[in-house]
Amino acid sequence: MPTAFLLLMSVGSNYGQVCNTSFEGNIISLEQNIPLESAVVEVIGSSKIVTSTASGYFKLEGLCPNSLIKIKISHINCPDFFTEIDLKKSLFENFYLDHKVEELSEIILVDNKLNDLSTSSQPFSLSELEKERYSDSGLAVVLEKISGVNTLSTGNKVSKPVIHGMFGSRVGIIYDGVMLENQQWGQDHAPNIDLNAFDRIRVIKGASVLKYSGSTPGGIIIIDSKAPKTIDTLYGKTIINTLSNGRGGSIISSITNSSQNGKYIKSQITIKKSGDLSSPNYLLSNTASNEKNISITGGKNFTKGNIKLFLSYFNTEIGILKSSHIGNIKDLLRVIESDSPGVINDFSYDINYPNQDNTHYTASLDYNHFFNIDKELSFKYSFQFNNRKEYDLRIGDFKNIPALDLNLSTHNVNSNYTWSNFSGEFVNGIFFEVQDNYSTPGTGVKRLIPDYLNTKLGGYFVYNSNLRKGLNFSFGLRYQYSSNDVYKFYRNSRWENENYEDLLGEYVIKEVLSQKLIRKKVVFNAFSSNVGLVKKFRDKYSLSIHHNYTERAPNIAEMFSGGLHHSLASIEYGDPFLKKERTHKVLLDFEKKNVKLNYRINPYLSYSKDYILAQPAGFEQTIRGAFPVWEYSPINSIFKGIDLDFVYQINDYIKFKNSTSWVEAKDYNSKKHLVNIPPLVVNNEIQFSSDKFKKFNAIIGSKFVNKQNLFPNNNSITSVIENGEKVEKIVDISTPPDGYNILNLNFNWGPYNFVSSNFYLGLSIDNLMNKSYRNYLNRLRFYSDEIGRNILLQIKIKY
Amino acid sequence: MPKNIYFKATLLSTILLFISCDKDDTPEAENEMEVFTKTVIVVTDLSDDSSETYNFEVEEHDHDHDHSVLRQTQDDDDHGDHTVIELKSNSEYKFEISFLNESDPNNIIDMTEEVIEEADDHHVFYELVGNGISYDSTSGDTFDSNSNPLNLVTKWTTTTATEVEVEAYLLHQPTSKTGNTRDDFGGATDVEIEFEAHVE
Repeated sequence: MPTAFLLLMSVGSNYGQVCNTSFEGNIISLEQNIPLESAVVEVIGSSKIVTSTASGYFKLEGLCPNSLIKIKISHINCPDFFTEIDLKKSLFENFYLDHKVEELSEIILVDNKLNDLSTSSQPFSLSELEKERYSDSGLAVVLEKISGVNTLSTGNKVSKPVIHGMFGSRVGIIYDGVMLENQQWGQDHAPNIDLNAFDRIRVIKGASVLKYSGSTPGGIIIIDSKAPKTIDTLYGKTIINTLSNGRGGSIISSITNSSQNGKYIKSQITIKKSGDLSSPNYLLSNTASNEKNISITGGKNFTKGNIKLFLSYFNTEIGILKSSHIGNIKDLLRVIESDSPGVINDFSYDINYPNQDNTHYTASLDYNHFFNIDKELSFKYSFQFNNRKEYDLRIGDFKNIPALDLNLSTHNVNSNYTWSNFSGEFVNGIFFEVQDNYSTPGTGVKRLIPDYLNTKLGGYFVYNSNLRKGLNFSFGLRYQYSSNDVYKFYRNSRWENENYEDLLGEYVIKEVLSQKLIRKKVVFNAFSSNVGLVKKFRDKYSLSIHHNYTERAPNIAEMFSGGLHHSLASIEYGDPFLKKERTHKVLLDFEKKNVKLNYRINPYLSYSKDYILAQPAGFEQTIRGAFPVWEYSPINSIFKGIDLDFVYQINDYIKFKNSTSWVEAKDYNSKKHLVNIPPLVVNNEIQFSSDKFKKFNAIIGSKFVNKQNLFPNNNSITSVIENGEKVEKIVDISTPPDGYNILNLNFNWGPYNFVSSNFYLGLSIDNLMNKSYRNYLNRLRFYSDEIGRNILLQIKIKY
Repeated sequence: MPKNIYFKATLLSTILLFISCDKDDTPEAENEMEVFTKTVIVVTDLSDDSSETYNFEVEEHDHDHDHSVLRQTQDDDDHGDHTVIELKSNSEYKFEISFLNESDPNNIIDMTEEVIEEADDHHVFYELVGNGISYDSTSGDTFDSNSNPLNLVTKWTTTTATEVEVEAYLLHQPTSKTGNTRDDFGGATDVEIEFEAHVE
């Protein structure tokens, strides 16, 4: 449903000769009211195609009068625009396109190119400026700018996105058309992806994009790159960041070489380094990190299609706060009762134990073929390899051996067929995926995740239609068969406690060292569907309602994990008999877009049957003391929430922005609140920019996070010796920390001409007041405060 | 350099493409070589050199649902909930503590050797609830590079008749090696056992 609307300004001229009619006009950017160059105007079903000039002007000649012609207008930064013209005589018309502004555009802006996402759920996107401002941060941190998106973290460098209160397997990340497959199940497993390798980032909250996934009731994050220009040119950019907190820095550089014949090659590199971070009052020892990424994309665009090869390497090495390694629950109690971490050393760039070392390789090959202007067939093959090593504080010969060493290889083949015209679009496709997870043996620690081979097979179809002017309907279905061939070791004690003999006894293939090895095939069939209606009225309003039904097969961790989480002093077990999780979610979206005032209201409600949640399940005694046991178990959950976005252009110089999100999640039966649900978050921002200082803008922002008052009691009791007496104490892992408000400043200068390139300068100060606070959604919140003031100096050169 | 990384990335991708499709044979069981499964305290009466051995281990057995039980055995005692170490008043005893990994019964590993090897990273601390007993490092103990005793061998001195609850800890990377309560030491607890010392 193109939001671009046309303004009829038809000026007639009278020729009236056979096929000598012309159709001309200007292409204008809707947001900026400036001419758009290089927009492609074509008459569907004919070879008539022209490109707009620098002044936005185009002219199609040699058209037959009294004919009904279908026009498609496309531009690199705009959604494709279709219209029908009843050409009685030569015509002049201006077209206003929803051009994405490259700098300082609004999050509230929607990018709704139909044939791109095949959903009528409107995505939220980040502007290039915002994306670059956070070029040193991880993916999740960048996305926090969007209402309804939070991060769940382990320390300060490991964070994963939470959308509408859901995370992990319930949130999909699609990069360059590939679903990111890494070991994403644990809270301390961050997505292994470098945002800087891509141009655009969009979030579809509360829905799946059925083309890619049917199992993400939280939402989906889509990261992709713009098609390169088809002219002979060499362009790129380099960003250099220096950060005061952690005395770190990063260099991000990319270069694209494109040519007239459609061939292009783009290479990109990111190198980041940071030393120990610091909170306002103390250094966070062993929080240094390194990251190095490289990607290369090459391809060719030709008239009838295009071909693309993408290769990337991602590596990150992250130190985990030294004092977060504890032995038992009494150690945890001591940490909770203490104000500062137990170990504070001098500043260092060294990464000692505990730490994580993650590597991700991707290779993908795409081929698209256009049969007609409106039919497209594509094939994609992708391969991903992920290696995750976790090093712990260990003793003896195991000191330098990772406690966890997982290798995940994924092959995916997908074929997609899209057929579209001015009234609708039909997308369907099939996919096949094989995924192998293998733990490098010899870690001397029982496998947290068993070895398995997963096979997925399925198909989808999505239909999007413009029912009438301003009314859009979408419908989609996806089916997925998945089979897991799992090899799992069970300790005999666990086996007997759980009476697994009756249920799993037949699958035992080996018995060793008080363990049993089973091999079991676990199969799931999952259907997902989306239905949506969008109504646009009076040009500036849009109202939509969506219903998404999601079936999600439990992931391997939920079914088969088993191991000790050091930082939480808890033992986690999967449940091999979990059923698929079924979620109904209804989303409303009301939006007003206008010159001065834009707002968007987005309430949602979801109900899940067999929602899989880790819950406390007693204690297990070890020689280290008693450990609380957490088991994945099904509940019926209910989530309700609302996201609000608001932008008001107060005058020519000042703009006010607000985004607010709130969510509540409960166990439907017990009415108990769910753990780790984001509290109320309010982001406010005031932007100053002026015509007088065209090359300068300033942003002052505040982020208010309320104390989460809705939380379950998962506390346990332990006895300790205090003042020479044995006393019972509550290990309060449940009570969330206080709310906080942090201020941020951001100044941007540029572009300035600098030799043959554009030069930009940015200065940002995060946590301006150097406030000490703790974050409920940080798993290491018991150990330390969040990081303090951070001054970021950014130099950006575009060439 | 970047070229090199890229080359490696491509090479590895290509190799994995061909090898990763087969599921490997049955995985090997992990031998947990650095875990503690058993703690042994040998108590020697310094007056007559007679000694008694107390074993502390977690028995992996199904007692209650979800609970395995810290089962503590004593050579000649009924199996109560708490191990009781009987001591005489106004006497001196040598306590020698050692740690074992018996997860593979065919390959019992003496973890005390690892502890001694990494003396700087380890410390044994006995936390006592009640008065009448004191302990200190004694001859035969191991010292770390800062001349702190590890308390692997300690001398216990009793005075009057009393009953004292004792928590014994093996600490990993303690922040301090001196103190009177567990809190003073920081670090991570590798082993925690409890017993009662009865002085008669």
